[in-house]
Amino acid sequence: MSEDYKEPESVWTSNRFWSRSAGWVTGFSAVLLILLTMDTLDQITIGSAKDLENKVTKRVPSASVINYKVTYEYSDVRGHEVPVIGEKELFFGRSDYSEAEANALLDKGKLTSQAKNCMNCHTLLGNGAYYAPDLTKAWLDPAWQAGGVMQGMTGTTSVDEAMSVFLQNPDKYASHARRMPNLGITPEEAKGLVAFLKQMSSIDTNGFPRNFNKIQGSTQK
Amino acid sequence: MFTEFTDVVPSFWGMLNQGPMTLTIFLHSIIVLPMYFIYKSEKKRMGH
Amino acid sequence: MSIATPKYLSQSLAMKYFFVAVVLFGAQLVMGLIAAYQFIDPEFLFNVFNFSTARMVHINALVVWMLYAMIGSAYWMLPEETGIETVGIKLGTLGFYVLTLAVTVVVLVYILVQVGPGTEASIWLINEGREYLEAPRWADIGITVVVLIFVYNVFATVMKGKRTGITTVLMADLIALAGLYLAGMFYTSNITMDQFWWWWVIHLWVEATWEVFVGVLIAYGLIKVMHANRQIVEMWLWIEVTMLFGSGILGMGHHYFWIGTPEYWWEIGALFSALEPVPLVGMLVHVIYDMGKHNGKVNNGPAFNWFIVNAFGNFLGAGVWGFMHTLPQINIYTHGSQFTAGHGHLAFYGAYATILIGMMYVAIQRRNGIEEMRSTSTSKWAVSLITIGVLGMTVALTLSGYVQAFVERAEYGATWDGYFIAQGATWFTQGIDWRLAMGVVTFIGFLLLVKDLLTIAKRSKALANS
Repeated sequence: MSEDYKEPESVWTSNRFWSRSAGWVTGFSAVLLILLTMDTLDQITIGSAKDLENKVTKRVPSASVINYKVTYEYSDVRGHEVPVIGEKELFFGRSDYSEAEANALLDKGKLTSQAKNCMNCHTLLGNGAYYAPDLTKAWLDPAWQAGGVMQGMTGTTSVDEAMSVFLQNPDKYASHARRMPNLGITPEEAKGLVAFLKQMSSIDTNGFPRNFNKIQGSTQK
Repeated sequence: MFTEFTDVVPSFWGMLNQGPMTLTIFLHSIIVLPMYFIYKSEKKRMGH
Repeated sequence: MSIATPKYLSQSLAMKYFFVAVVLFGAQLVMGLIAAYQFIDPEFLFNVFNFSTARMVHINALVVWMLYAMIGSAYWMLPEETGIETVGIKLGTLGFYVLTLAVTVVVLVYILVQVGPGTEASIWLINEGREYLEAPRWADIGITVVVLIFVYNVFATVMKGKRTGITTVLMADLIALAGLYLAGMFYTSNITMDQFWWWWVIHLWVEATWEVFVGVLIAYGLIKVMHANRQIVEMWLWIEVTMLFGSGILGMGHHYFWIGTPEYWWEIGALFSALEPVPLVGMLVHVIYDMGKHNGKVNNGPAFNWFIVNAFGNFLGAGVWGFMHTLPQINIYTHGSQFTAGHGHLAFYGAYATILIGMMYVAIQRRNGIEEMRSTSTSKWAVSLITIGVLGMTVALTLSGYVQAFVERAEYGATWDGYFIAQGATWFTQGIDWRLAMGVVTFIGFLLLVKDLLTIAKRSKALANS
């Protein structure tokens, strides 16, 4: 502050008042954000295989969720759709992946999703680019289920196989004029990516996307 | 105003968020009350 | 009072930063045009230079050119605010060359290598695959080191020289800005955790610390361009900091609606992000008020035009367009649609590009000791075309976003099929066509801007001598 500075009578035109306010408001907001962050981090830490066995609901379930069937159902209590983890389900022919195996698959998938730059065409949890469909609930999308276009095109009979075959040669299985490019995804990386997509579909996103696949007639055209 | 807790994990902030109004009232209070207090004390100081 | 200043090394360094910033701005626009054209002809450069690559360079060039121009602006202001040459300027200059070399290598790897195998090595060497933070880890560390040098320059200089309200805010803001980058430098297989910390960098940059940086630049700019009263300008600055951080820090909640985080963020995000436009209105009022007070008398026409576009653009792009879809009740349908792209274009342009270009004009004027620098017809065409172009892209993308929200999300329940039906809808594709057309308008404006930045000093001097 310069020497000729005079403290005004009212606080409303006082630099000192406003600089103090800036400090207090910023400090208070930051502290509140940190407290909220601590609470949230606790809630979004990934669950364990035990949680799944004991039917403990986690916002972000363990990678072992690949051993189970995942659905997305309307919850009367929550007022929107939530992921529901059901009975055991085969994933690439097995439903007995140990937690370590499942984690390794998820890790491979997540790393591949970053290395292949998925986020600069697709959105994940709604974040990314808008050139290709959102992947949040891709695992549950009717296009990949029995009777959907992708299983027919790839000549497969399950969601995991269809996704894996597609990801290794996406430019060969075009459903629309806008194709996915060939990113040199190996069978191992594809399996990891499918595990990553399945686990992501089991994350509780507070009902996003809304009314997912609600209008059956229209989605089948 | 107070309804059953619905979020996945009960927590302090989640509790404040039960029902449609509680968290909103809390947050608005922490914004508006200090402003009101400064306004009042300033008015008093200026001798009005 | 003469406008000529001693030739500070700090200001020579600023000019270097501005130069690279403009080059990267051009790269951003070229990549944007490629990506926009791929929306219309998806076979264009397919499997050669894919949309993902063009888009990655598009947004990375954006972030980096703005950081360059911000660092340049700070190096420019420092000697004038403190009255002394920047401390450690030789180290700062070395930092510039290291940073520019690193950026060049990163961009070449993006363009030539593009993607890697699904291993940690790819994240360290090729790209990190996280929107806006794609820079590989080695570059992250390099950037951090250079930014630390920059922060040291600023702190050491302010401690030694005169301390003003402007430099106080600048110091506090830079510490937060640099520190936050660290939140983006780790890997986790938990996508929710990944996105949670990712927003700490992205949100707390563009909706808090960068905005405060803009406040600093406006304060400095108004003092220099129309001799606004420092005490009043700095009072406004402190009010802006109060409101920007007061709304922006907890406004982070609006990114935590749908990524797996608890429901209480709905109300926190809704309330504080709804308050985010308030300081932007304040900044608009502040600039218009000062302009009226000085009867519009300014010593730098083009810079002042850009400041005015900034005041309106920040309010419209960040404030109005942001508020449009910030409430969770609306955002559940617009999240992850072209709506966001529309908002992003006008917000980055209105809030940041404009003020930074204005700063470049201020630097050119003062570097060349021009008492009064008036707009040339090229300056006027440049600011008009770029503004019309970006506004046009924004409106076009917003309309396309509406089609997505209603057709893809509401009508078809957000499935893949719904996605492609919306992408093919006539009103959607019209928006995409107009976006490309307006992108071309923007690019023509950019070419004129470059011409003007390179020639205006000479023309102004010739005018003064005649």
